[in-house]
Amino acid sequence: MSRDTRTDGGVQGEPELKRGPFQRWVASTIKEPQKAYRAMFYVATIFFLATTLFPFYFLLVLALTPENAPLALFPTAPRFEVFLDVFDRVNFLRYMFNSLVLALSTTAVVLLLASLAGYVFGRLQFPGRTPLMLLILAISYFPPAAFFLPLYQLFTGNVVPGLSLYNTPGSMILPFSSLFMPLSIFILTTFYGQIPDGLEDAARVEGTTRLGALFRVIIPLSAPGVATAGVLTFISVYNEFFFSQLMNNGQPANWAPIVGGLLSLQRAGQFQVTYGVMAAGSIIAVVPVAILVVVAQERIVSGLTAGALKE
Amino acid sequence: MARVHLQDVTKRYGDVTAVEEMNLDIKDGEFITLVGPSGCGKSTTMEMIAGLTTPSEGTVNIGERDVTNLPPKDRGISMVFQNIALFPHMDVYDNISFGLRLRNYEKEEIDRRVENAASIVQMEGMLDRMPDEMSGGQRQRVAIARAIVRNPDVFLMDEPLANLDAKLRVHMRTELQRLHKELDTTIVYVTHDQAEAMTMSDRIAVINEGELQQFDPPLVCYNEPRNEFVAGFIGSPSMNFTTGQLTQTGFSSEFYDVSFDTTGIDAKPGDAVTLGVRPEDVYPTEFIDDASDPTETIEAEVDVLEPMGDEIFVYLMLDEDNEGGMGGTAAGDDSLLMSVSPDSDLTEGDLVEVVLDRAKIHLFDDSTSLAITHGVSRASASAADAQSEEAE
Repeated sequence: MSRDTRTDGGVQGEPELKRGPFQRWVASTIKEPQKAYRAMFYVATIFFLATTLFPFYFLLVLALTPENAPLALFPTAPRFEVFLDVFDRVNFLRYMFNSLVLALSTTAVVLLLASLAGYVFGRLQFPGRTPLMLLILAISYFPPAAFFLPLYQLFTGNVVPGLSLYNTPGSMILPFSSLFMPLSIFILTTFYGQIPDGLEDAARVEGTTRLGALFRVIIPLSAPGVATAGVLTFISVYNEFFFSQLMNNGQPANWAPIVGGLLSLQRAGQFQVTYGVMAAGSIIAVVPVAILVVVAQERIVSGLTAGALKE
Repeated sequence: MARVHLQDVTKRYGDVTAVEEMNLDIKDGEFITLVGPSGCGKSTTMEMIAGLTTPSEGTVNIGERDVTNLPPKDRGISMVFQNIALFPHMDVYDNISFGLRLRNYEKEEIDRRVENAASIVQMEGMLDRMPDEMSGGQRQRVAIARAIVRNPDVFLMDEPLANLDAKLRVHMRTELQRLHKELDTTIVYVTHDQAEAMTMSDRIAVINEGELQQFDPPLVCYNEPRNEFVAGFIGSPSMNFTTGQLTQTGFSSEFYDVSFDTTGIDAKPGDAVTLGVRPEDVYPTEFIDDASDPTETIEAEVDVLEPMGDEIFVYLMLDEDNEGGMGGTAAGDDSLLMSVSPDSDLTEGDLVEVVLDRAKIHLFDDSTSLAITHGVSRASASAADAQSEEAE
């Protein structure tokens, strides 16, 4: 007896079942489970896209809606000049410049020190290696607020007379570096530990010191790891709020980063909160990071595929 | 070009002693091989010559300089590694010129030297290749070019052929010998493969458990092994060993006796000794004329035949009770490995009579495992009489 199934899912020889389109779809997915998986994939994707992208879209709506106009999902009379207003009302470029300088210098400090630490943790055997590593990782889980008071006292010259870092880049680069360093140390330790010993030995026999081997062989071969650590540090600093807001008085000349810029945009309107300009400022602030992620992602992926170490 | 001298070099890792009081005096221009089983300390010894590891005790001299505490880059050495260790992010030219560039040589000088080194290893025209675009043999040639381009005093090679396939390995072996003739540099070579050690080196340093066992030319190690370890390690297949004891009239064991002149042998009758004989010095009675000084016949049963083409390895069982199978191994006391010419018509299960060549018998003292004698001779009639009289 033929077991061929019919288009309606019924069994051959029985009267055709009366089914709606959904029932027919269900019947067909039972035959072809792939279909159901694909449907679930689309549902999940749409859900995540909506929850992540919608706030961003709403930020755009907020920026483009003119003051005093009612908010709507699709603004009727978008006002693009708001992006220029951002630069008119405050020195927003200077705030962005400050943020970039802070992020880049922190990244440089972190990469340099974390490279040395990563070399030690990843490639040398010494007593107490694991406890030290755990200690460093533990520090990264401390709440930044715990460090704030002592650091504030220190940086405002109340501990060492004459040493005042408040309102200077140092007051932010120092805490940022120590807070974000453990993650980079962890990443670089893993990468440097995977470089075969023979390559380092070869470099040392050929004429480098251990440090030379690190910079000439180990770091170039760990480029994807260094890029990852660098990008993560950069983004963390760029997005940092706590110390960024508290270690300066919010003036662009005093190295206040974008946080300070956005907060001063809030105060830019005389008597009302200027959501539109703040939203526009936020969007502008996102651009450098968005570009960095897109560029770095390609580099990291290409590095991961091309940098496979063959011995 | 320099001599290398290791004086009482010891390396400890915690409680583990990797190398114990190593003394090596390597002459200028000599090709020597450090050979031994895995984990015997040969690589550690080489790393101490290279400066990648600092000795716990002792001194290392290269040329007239004490280099014990110098970093690798200042020792005038170059090295070829087991895993080849070309820098994957540099092309062939950059790999070869790495050391020269670090030492700030002129561009023209670098070009000239790289060209020259590349031509020695026959890699001209491949200077812009990346390491992952080359075969294993080509990569190894580049690694050798990188090592010779700086004209080092000493050339260290840590199992450079271990990762190559068998055919290429034999080919590279002759190339390395040619290279040694061409460069006339001191070469220290590490391998666990005794065949490599035998074929290439001027002298072999046999190392076991961190201690130097023997440091002699290959054939001396082969013919006059200093102790049981060297005897068993050098030569493939391995030497046969039978434990027994020395008697008035020769050697006696559970499975066979061999009579020889015991006068002049530095051991007393009754001492526990091990008799060693190489497979090629065991002869079936049909070829008894090939043995220069045949012993009494020994009865045995043919267990397994291994035809190699140019010779056949015959595993013999000495113990009559042995029923064969897993029990009989060539390393055991109750078996004997014999190599015979391929036109022999032995078949498995045959009962045969074999003789040993007295001139090729080695005796080892069981208490020290040191060699007592290499080769014994037939007891003369009068000596045998004297001994029998003594016994009475």
